[in-house]
Amino acid sequence: MITVTELTSAYGRKQILQGVSFTAQRGECVGIVGANGCGKSTLLSVLAGTLKPRSGQVLYYGKAAWSDAGNGRMHEDKEVIRRMTGYVPQEDPLIPELSVYDNLRLWYPDKGTLRRELEQGFLNLLGLGEFSAKQVHKLSGGMKKRVSIGIAMASTPPILLLDEPSAALDLICKEDIRRYLQIYLERKGTVVITTHEESELDLCSTLYVMKEGRLHQVDNRLRGEGLTGRM
Amino acid sequence: MTSNMTLNMITGMIKRLRYLSMELKKTAKLLPAMLAQIILLISVLAMVVFGSVKSMGWEALSVHAEIAVVVGEDSTLMTGMLLRYVENMESVSQFCDFRQTTEQEGFALLEKGEVTALVVLPEGLLEGIMNGTNPVVEIYFPKQAGLEALFFREMTEAGEGLLRVAQAQIYGAGDMARAFGLTEQLSQIEVEIDSYNLAFALDRLALYDSAKVSAFGSVNAVQFYLASGSIMFLLLAGMAMYPVVRREPPALCRQLERAGMGEIWQSFCQWLCGLLCISLFAGVLWAAVRLFVRFGPQETVEHLMTDSGYPLYMEAGLAAVILMTVTTLVYLIHSLAGSRTGGILLVFLLSVVMVYLSGGLVPAMFLPQPMRTLGAWLPSAWLIRAMCGLWAGRDAVVTGECVVVLCGYTVLCGGLVCALREGRARRRTG
Repeated sequence: MITVTELTSAYGRKQILQGVSFTAQRGECVGIVGANGCGKSTLLSVLAGTLKPRSGQVLYYGKAAWSDAGNGRMHEDKEVIRRMTGYVPQEDPLIPELSVYDNLRLWYPDKGTLRRELEQGFLNLLGLGEFSAKQVHKLSGGMKKRVSIGIAMASTPPILLLDEPSAALDLICKEDIRRYLQIYLERKGTVVITTHEESELDLCSTLYVMKEGRLHQVDNRLRGEGLTGRM
Repeated sequence: MTSNMTLNMITGMIKRLRYLSMELKKTAKLLPAMLAQIILLISVLAMVVFGSVKSMGWEALSVHAEIAVVVGEDSTLMTGMLLRYVENMESVSQFCDFRQTTEQEGFALLEKGEVTALVVLPEGLLEGIMNGTNPVVEIYFPKQAGLEALFFREMTEAGEGLLRVAQAQIYGAGDMARAFGLTEQLSQIEVEIDSYNLAFALDRLALYDSAKVSAFGSVNAVQFYLASGSIMFLLLAGMAMYPVVRREPPALCRQLERAGMGEIWQSFCQWLCGLLCISLFAGVLWAAVRLFVRFGPQETVEHLMTDSGYPLYMEAGLAAVILMTVTTLVYLIHSLAGSRTGGILLVFLLSVVMVYLSGGLVPAMFLPQPMRTLGAWLPSAWLIRAMCGLWAGRDAVVTGECVVVLCGYTVLCGGLVCALREGRARRRTG
């Protein structure tokens, strides 16, 4: 469960997030859409703990990940963020010279768990089992994205943060990732996803539009009317 | 609570070590390509070195002067004998060849630059010396006098001085003999004085002190260029190190930071991998030198082979300090450049400039004073000094000084890399 309250963030003098608030329950997928540069990735970076907010509060399952420490300073509980969230950034966090297996091994606690996951777990669902020996620099964009999702799932987090996971992928890849997210949600995981893809929007139980650093919830009745096309 | 913290620490340490092992694995995969580049670099450098060695002479600098001598037509037999006597003096014959010419011919040769100097002997020279009238000997030098002419001028001045002393001795002895009524013994006294003077004059080189002056200090030219060449090679080999020390993709850096592996740990792991690469490159260089020692030209190898005189652990320690400094310096340059092309260009330029200023290409004493002052404090100067110590041995104090300064440079460069990367990370995370 995620509770975000009055979150603000800025790059220098430029205000990016201006009082963002939302909540997401277990098994819920929150979608965030918006024009390029509106602050979607910034919001996800703050939620993932890779960017420091100016003010506000972020709670994961009631535990403060970001909180106001007074004197205008923010306190980060890295352990809470690390344990609770898996983060799939836009660029793939991979070491190109190593194999898929080695890249995953970096994040998985032990070889046994990784092997199990590759044979019959989430990683197998992502289709990584048969590619594990391949070098990352020889993989397609879609395969790299699957490895990135696999890395984000290494600590089996209850919250998954995805920053435009389907950008520049082919249809089959998009469908595979969508199916995978569906399974994750069925297992009561919480997903926050920024996207431009209609197919991924279908997964979202709650949808927000980000405009000028603020979130505006979209009325579910309007969602069939070509939402992304209007933005 | 405490056990939780301990568990977290252990988990964190395991993660860090796993990242280190992945970096090492990455380095191992990149090694074949890097080694190919290094072998290419060694081949190019070896060709340059081989060419230089072939054209390098090991004999001392030889100065040889061809002197034209004009002897007057009516000169006595005595003058001719004097000339032959001077010509055969050991100190003169080593440096000068005399050629008897006419005055006109002599000036023509001097004009063409075929002789170093023209000596015109007056009539009755020897008689004049004997009776004290000392007729003037004219010596002509070309306008653009070279080293040989300067050398000959020094020799004639020295000869003139000797002659003056000999004359003073003979005249003094004559006066003394006459004052004490010993004129009968005068010829015997003159013979004695002559024999002393001639004995010294014939073996004048025995009067000279033999001193070895070298622009390379206590090492010879081969050892010096081997040391500076090794440092140049190691610095240039840093160009191949780029894939190992380049910054990870930003997305990976962020994930590593999330997992508790900050910029400093990432930098340390990359530095360690870089150090392994540089050590391996140094091993390749060492193997190349051993091959050269086995198959290279004998006269060069003779100059190369010396013993540092240090115990093995000190040699290993000194080598480790050199390798660490080179790695950190190259890492800093790559971090400053921020891109592959920029890094390679900057490493190349800075290596050549630093080694040049440190007197690694042309001995420092031939460089202008401001360059020498600047060069003396560059890390490359200390690296070359330490490498000279490793090849040929040095005073322990000098070596100790090198170790302290190089350690200082390593810490400074390492600190700068960490500050640079931390600064970038801070700007990124806000």
